[in-house]
Order: sequence, then structure tokens, then C-alpha cells
Amino acid sequence: MNDIITPIIMGIMLGGLYALIALGLSLLFGVMRLINLAHGDFVVLGSYLAYGIATYLGLDPILSLIIIVPVMFGLGFLIQKYIMSRAFAVSSDTPLIIAFGISLIIQNANQIAWTPLSRGLNTGYSHASFFLGSLQFPVIYLLDLIAGIVVMLLLREFLTRTYLGRAITAASQDKRAAELMGINAKRVYGYAFAIAMAFAGIGGVFLGMTFPFTPTSGISFLTIAFGTVIIGGLGSMWGTFLGGIILGLVQTLGGYFFGPASQMLIVYVIVLVILAIRPQGLFGR
Amino acid sequence: MTDQVLLKISNIEVFHGTFQALWNLSLEVRRGEMLALIGANTSGKTTLMDTVSGLLHPAKGIMEFNGYDITCLDPYQIVELGITQVPEGRRIFPEMTVFDNLMIGSYCSCARKNRILNLGRVYELFPRLKERKKQVAKTLSGGEQQMLAIGRGLMADPKLMLIDEMSLGLAPIVIDEIFKALKKIQERGITILFVEQNVKRTLEEADRAYILENGRVALSGTSAELCEKDQVKKAYFGIDECAI
Amino acid sequence: MISKIKNDFLIPATLVFIILALLPLIGAPRSWVLYVFLFFIYLAMANMWNLLAGYSGLISLCQPAFLGLAGYTMAIGTWVGVPWWIGIIGGAIIAALFALLISGAVFRLSGIYFAIGTLVVPEAIRMVFYLWKPVGGAMHGAGAGYMIKGIEGVSQHAIFWLAAVVGIGSVYLMRFIIKSKLGLGLASIRDNQRTAASIGVNVFRVKLYTFLISAFVTGVAGAIYYLNQGYIEPSATFNVRWTMVMLLATVIGGIRTEQGPIIGTIIVVILYFALARYAGYSFLIQGIILIVIMLLSPQGIMGIIKRLFSRKGVKN
Repeated sequence: MNDIITPIIMGIMLGGLYALIALGLSLLFGVMRLINLAHGDFVVLGSYLAYGIATYLGLDPILSLIIIVPVMFGLGFLIQKYIMSRAFAVSSDTPLIIAFGISLIIQNANQIAWTPLSRGLNTGYSHASFFLGSLQFPVIYLLDLIAGIVVMLLLREFLTRTYLGRAITAASQDKRAAELMGINAKRVYGYAFAIAMAFAGIGGVFLGMTFPFTPTSGISFLTIAFGTVIIGGLGSMWGTFLGGIILGLVQTLGGYFFGPASQMLIVYVIVLVILAIRPQGLFGR
Repeated sequence: MTDQVLLKISNIEVFHGTFQALWNLSLEVRRGEMLALIGANTSGKTTLMDTVSGLLHPAKGIMEFNGYDITCLDPYQIVELGITQVPEGRRIFPEMTVFDNLMIGSYCSCARKNRILNLGRVYELFPRLKERKKQVAKTLSGGEQQMLAIGRGLMADPKLMLIDEMSLGLAPIVIDEIFKALKKIQERGITILFVEQNVKRTLEEADRAYILENGRVALSGTSAELCEKDQVKKAYFGIDECAI
Repeated sequence: MISKIKNDFLIPATLVFIILALLPLIGAPRSWVLYVFLFFIYLAMANMWNLLAGYSGLISLCQPAFLGLAGYTMAIGTWVGVPWWIGIIGGAIIAALFALLISGAVFRLSGIYFAIGTLVVPEAIRMVFYLWKPVGGAMHGAGAGYMIKGIEGVSQHAIFWLAAVVGIGSVYLMRFIIKSKLGLGLASIRDNQRTAASIGVNVFRVKLYTFLISAFVTGVAGAIYYLNQGYIEPSATFNVRWTMVMLLATVIGGIRTEQGPIIGTIIVVILYFALARYAGYSFLIQGIILIVIMLLSPQGIMGIIKRLFSRKGVKN
């Protein structure tokens, strides 16, 4: 009986991580109706940046966020300003195809820089564990949950307390009205993309500490992020968190019942089934 | 006395794709006045407002505001110079609170420093907004939403306020309340350009008016002058009566 | 002027294709033959992607599932005694049946949802083939890797000509579809989905037919590709890079034009040839080209050609 408690608690903790990697995707969809096909690759880019920083500077992955967050933020702003903003002007399919191109560029760049081999972010606490009663859990999973909650609370505060945050919210609800309020929609989109990418970077660091990754892992992470978002309903933050926990549970319980090798397959199937039955999300309106 | 003129629109032509919406249109808004735009649904009133706000750009012609050429500016730059629009259908941000909606109004850098002062003024003008400041905007009644939209516009600290289709779907008693508020806004030195369906009411309230037909100015003058014109009487009142 | 080019391109194109198809007979180098083989395979796949994305508005990212399932059907068939040529047809039928199976689900999704939904499909199938070995005799390595059995007697030339037939056939198939009732339905959907539905076009059925045709032809091309390669394994088969090839060829040449995929596929194959030495950088460069073309000339090379001709037309 105690057996099944372990995957349940692990799944909930993993949910924090999945919510974290889904936040950026959800934010971009909310603000500019873009589902960024390259989001998973941005996450992997974050993992590799942390790997590189750990290898060459010897910095702990969590500390390396000091470098990764601004780098990803800047990169995101530039991508929106010079590529995506133009793509939106061409046609509604263009951003999709361009995101696909960006995805392949990042995959390939990662492969050139780091070889196709599987990597992981190893730290002193990688194998540490903590006890709940008599059950043992990896510390990393707890960090995942904490990171997810902290980043979500920060995002909420940012969106409701600052001018830029309010502007992003306003632009997502009514772009035209937002422009009439003096909001420069182009700049707001730039910041939204930058923030989404910074979140992807943070997600990538924690993901890299939790699971091994390769240059082509992006699609799995995109699927997880997308699944999290559609389960929770697009644009709802608490829904995203709930979606993350559900997917985390699907994965750990799937691994528990069908063996660890098939846990990702079960996640994919669940995402496809939900997409087919309720594309607006389980908790969406 | 060009100083009297706050906004001067000279010979603009505006297109929606290939459809020409405004034809060689010229118009003046004088400092401190309450000016009305009158016309049928497709006469170009909203197009004119959107052009002044920078959402559309004229293919020809010039617009000058307070000494600046605003013809090619983007909406956010125009708000910065002191023109704010209260759009048709109010378009408040439905999922945000009343307070957040008002704060978004003060987004432009010129308005941020005065936001506390302006917020106080808006609450004074519309006490109901103060009572409901924590409420999500979509739960307000239609009249309250219009008040919020006007309040949000005032938060931008404007010199000129454009108000489109102000009383659409509102009860007469609410319309009275809003016109009273507009008078107070005008007394504070803010110039108002508004569009309103009810022509009779408009001519009662406005100082001057322009009548648009098919994207051109058909008539203009003070409200009293316009009331005397036979065309206006026939087209908009049906009978030979005029309040003024 | 433009309509003239449109009407005439089939004949010279076919002549060029036939000359290309004769290459092995005149003793062209093996590597050349291989590139021309790739050209025919990619051409068929690009045409089918264009049919979906360009003419039906379905940005399908699950084409690797079709070509992979067909390839696997053929490969597994050779292990249980089914001749390879029946395997190719059978594989294509399996691919089309699979398209039918997922159509119910993915057709409820529009635009970006359709794209993401279809993106996940090949990933999921790859997982299946990592975990599941349908028959014995698999190669070593991860998951179900198979040699194609019993094809020692099949000549390389025969496989090459098979590819040529499919490649050239796909061009004629596109012409046939566009001129048919189905093409008429597609054109009306493209103009306005709602109007099309209101005048009696069964939007779902029209889209379904194109989806099935696309899956079938892509399956045939995929099976021939793996017949030539001699083995099949999941990670390279259910791989997003296949999608990149089709997408790039269509976008470079000009999406939603008949000639686009032909021009685009020529360029993609030349690109492969030129980049062969920098294999690692190939997809990086392709990604950059894709983005640049999409931003500068969304209608690809055909868009540029049309613009040039219409400008000349104005001058004259």
C-alpha cells in the first residue's frame, strides 16, 4: 500500500516542474495567441547553458541562473523583435513554420556544441534524499516543486503589481484597447517573449537536474508543457499548476504500473486523448 | 488665433484596405470645447477617431495637435502627447479589477507621476467606481463600465478626450449622469470630442458639431446654428422642433 | 502570361524527369544516382505536404508517422514472408488507415492545435517501436531495428525507377487532384471555410480525402526509401527531420503552387549535396534558410517569379 504513495508524492512534486516549463508557453499563448513550437528547445537550451556553465565555470546549476535568465531574456527579446514580429505580419501560419525552423536551429546548435550524447546536471545534492515518514524522496524533486511555486508567485505579483505586468495582461485581453491606453504593443510582446524564454531557461535548469537530456529532447518537453497547458486550460495560472500535477502523476503512476520505459509514452497518449476530446482543456471555459 | 485650435485636421484621406472611408476631410477642435460628431453608421466617425488615435494612418493630409505633427505617430506616442480615446463598446479589460483598469489608464510615462491625483479625481467624479474598485470589471453594469472606460481615459491625463458611441445601450438616466460628468471634465479644461447617436441630445449638450456623410464633412457649426438648418431638422428630427 | 507557364510546365518537367530517370543506364556515378533517387522520394513527400498545408490548410507535422509505418510494414513483412512489393502497397494502406484512425481526433483541432497534435503522433509511435519488437531477428541497438530481408536479388536500378515513377506520378497526381471535384472543394474551402460548408461542400470529407491520399503516397515513398536503405530503425524514421525536408522544399519553391515543390526539392537536394561535408551544420543552415525565406518571400521562388512576370506585364 505504501508503494503507491511514493509515486503519488513524486508525481505532485514533478508537477511543480511541469508547471514551470509550461508557464512560458501559456504566457505567450495568452498574450499573442502563439503556441511556440520551439518552447521545448528553449527549455533544452537552458539545460545546456547550465551544463556549459557548470563544465567551464564550475558554477552550481541553480547559481548559474544568474547568467542564464538574463541571456535567455535578451535572446527572447531579440527573437520577437527581429523575427516573430515580422512573421505575424506575413500570415497566420508563418509564426508556426518559423518556430519550427527555430526549433531545428537550436537542436542542431546544441548537437554541434555538446554532441548528441545524453547529459545531466550533476551536483552535490543530485543523489541526496529526504524522508517523509518512512518514505524516501530525492531532494531534487522537492526543489522542482519549490521552484515551480516560487516562479508562479513571482509571475503573479509581476502581472498584477507592475505597470509592465499590467500592460501584458491588458494586451492579452484586448490588444486594441491596450494600444489606446498608450501601451506599445510591440514592446510588450517583446517583453512577453523575453519573459517566456527566461522561464524556459529556469525550467531547463531544474529539468536538467531531474532528468537526462539530449539535443532532441525538446519535443518531449514541448509535449509535456503543452499537455500541462491544455489540461489546465490556456491562460489560467492555477489551472497550469493543476495540469502540471496531473501530468506528473500520469508519468509517475504510469511508470509504477507499466514500467519506467513506457512512462513517457503514456504521457503522450494522455495528451493526445485530451487534445482529441477536449482541446479547450479539462478546466478551460 | 491658431492658439485656440488644439487639433487641426487638414484634408486627410483614410482607407480600409481598398475602401476609402474618409475623403479630403478637414476639421478643427478648439481648446476647451465640447465638440460632437454626428452621422450615420458608415459615415466615418469611428474611422476619424481611430485615425486621430493613430490606429489608422491617413494616406494623404496632415493632423496637428498642440503644435505637433501627429500624422504618422503610433497610438502610444499619441497618448503620450495627450490624446486619449474611450472606444466604442467601452472595451474595458474584462478580467482585470476596476482598480487595475484605472491604473492601466496611467500607463504612459506622462501620466504615471500624477496617477494618485488623477485617481482621486476619477473617484470623485464617479464615486461608484471607488466602491467597486476591487471588483472584476466584467461584473459591472453597462453604465458603470462606461464610467470605468471614461475614468480609465482620464487617468492618462489627457488634453483631448475622444469618446466614441458613448451612450450605446445605456438607460436614459445613466446617460444624464454621464453627460453631467462630461461637463465637469470640460470644466477642468479637458477638451472633448464625442460621437453620440441621439442627435437632439447631442446638440443640446455640445458647443459645436460636425455632421459627416459618407466620409465627408456635410455641415458644421455651433449647435444653435445647426439646429436652425432645414437639412438637420429634416434628416435628424423629422419634425420642425429644436430644443434650443 | 502566368497562366501559360502554369499550363506548360508539366511537359518540359516530365522530359527532364525522364532524362534524370535514365541516369543509371548511362553509367552516372553512384552518388549522383543516389541524389536523384532522393530527389524523387522527397518530391513525392513535398507534394503531399503541399497538398495538406498549401491546399487544405492542414499544417501536418505527422508525415514521419506515415512514411515510418509504411516502411515498418514493408520491413516486417519481409520477415514473415511477404514479398517487398506487396509490403510497399500494404505499408501505404496501413499508413492511410492510420491517417483515418487519427483523423477523427486531429480534425477537431484547428490551426496550431492541429500542428501540435500531429507533432506528438510520430513521437508516440517512435516510443512504441522502442518498446515493441513485432517479430524476431531485430538488429542490435535500441528498439525495433530491422534489416529488409530477402532483397538481395532486387536491383538498385529497379528501386531507383520505382522512386522515379512515384516522384513523377506525384506531380501528375497533384494536377489531377487540383483539376478534380476534390480540388474544387479545396479551393472553395481555402477561400472561405464557412461559405464552402454553406454551399454544400463537405469540409470534413474533403480534408479527410486529402489527408488519406497524402498518407498513402507518403507511405509509398517512405517504403521505397527504406527498401533502398536496406534497414529501418525507429529514431531516424519517426524523426522531425523528415518534416523539415518536406517543409523546406515546399516553402523554398512556393507553398500552394504546383511547381513550388519541384523547384524546392531540386534546391533541397543540391543543398544536401553541397552541405554533405558539413553534415552537422546541415539542419542549422536549413533552419536559417527556412526562416529567411518565410520572412522575405513567403510565397517562395514561385512568388518571386510571379512578381517578376506581373511587373513585366504592367510595363508592357
